[in-house]
Amino acid sequence: MNFKKFCSFLALIYVSFSFGQDDLFKELDTIKSDKKEIETAAFKALQIATMQSTKLPVKGDWYFLVAHRFGDLSKGFDNFFGFDNALTKLGGIYGATNWLSLSLSRHTYNKTYEVGVKYKLANQEVEGFPVTIVGYNTLDINSELSKDIYPNLEFSQRMAYSTQLLISRKFSEIFSAQVASIYVHKNLYEATSDLKSTFLLGGGGRYKITKRMSINLEYAARLKVPKEDTLNSNPLTLGLDIETGGHVFQLVFSNSQPMNDISVFTNANGDWTKGKVYFGFNLYRVF
Amino acid sequence: MKNIKLLVMLFLAVLFASCESKTYDEIGAKVLNPTYVANIAPIVSNKCLSCHVTGNEFPTLETYAQVKDATQNGNVICRIDTQSCGNVMPQTGRMDQGTIDLIKLWATNGYVNQ
Repeated sequence: MNFKKFCSFLALIYVSFSFGQDDLFKELDTIKSDKKEIETAAFKALQIATMQSTKLPVKGDWYFLVAHRFGDLSKGFDNFFGFDNALTKLGGIYGATNWLSLSLSRHTYNKTYEVGVKYKLANQEVEGFPVTIVGYNTLDINSELSKDIYPNLEFSQRMAYSTQLLISRKFSEIFSAQVASIYVHKNLYEATSDLKSTFLLGGGGRYKITKRMSINLEYAARLKVPKEDTLNSNPLTLGLDIETGGHVFQLVFSNSQPMNDISVFTNANGDWTKGKVYFGFNLYRVF
Repeated sequence: MKNIKLLVMLFLAVLFASCESKTYDEIGAKVLNPTYVANIAPIVSNKCLSCHVTGNEFPTLETYAQVKDATQNGNVICRIDTQSCGNVMPQTGRMDQGTIDLIKLWATNGYVNQ
């Protein structure tokens, strides 16, 4: 894989998805027939902590996902350190092929349904191509909005989209890192504290501390922030992966309570400096 | 395999077809004199009554008197707006500013029933 091909991947994602499909799949085919050995996954779980990692399920695998984010820790015994106010995500992920997975999840937050597609564009190879490149798209449908409150509501305003390009590298057995460029588009947004389109640059890493545990950290910076936005911060999440047989159990501390990507990236309303942090976990079961 | 590719392309086409964005203000009702019956009750019913009903979470918000009391003497406004007195309500996510402002306006105007 040379530099030119690498660039064409980037171009394909940002400029010409709808026109470049044939080329894209040809590229994939070349990678597959490549004799070079594919590096083992940079991340053990499908998520670094809240953000997606470059790992995909293998063909035919079903993942069942349960995740919680409890209430704000800074309220102490008032909400029993957050246990009174949990948000839940329930979902399933299916590996259609080794390079494509489909997911569907339901979130307490705004009664949102999230559809996700994750597709691998390139694999990191042992002494070959240096990085793994994965694309990830989500579509959110807010099912809570009601015509009783918003008389001019149309269905399209329930939807919001995210497009993400994730590039990871496994530097060694214990350390992997990822950079991400993220675009979020909302069909319905707050006039003062929100934008209809937001670009973010993010990053994350995984550092193994024992054979079955690793510490993960991720952050994303919004490139443009609305002037009057006093509610939202850039998402910063700390995680601990614990691997147990068929599960990966992830403990998470985040300044975002909602778990759908669009809210995580643009509406993280916690604040690490004030201890307004949400504790939670992601639990995956593979079938 | 062909079908999957087609599905992916369709999905991406849907994703990339950019839709016109609107603000909450644009799809909400513009009300200058909100009343409980016309404006507040639908919000309460939609956003609060899955928990705040008799025998469940305090305060109960089923009637005009209950909602008025909780707003006037309780901390409803604080809980939905500033987050300075507990986790933001409703739990499923802070309401948009227009809706919050509407409830505040209703309070400022003296809790008009209908």
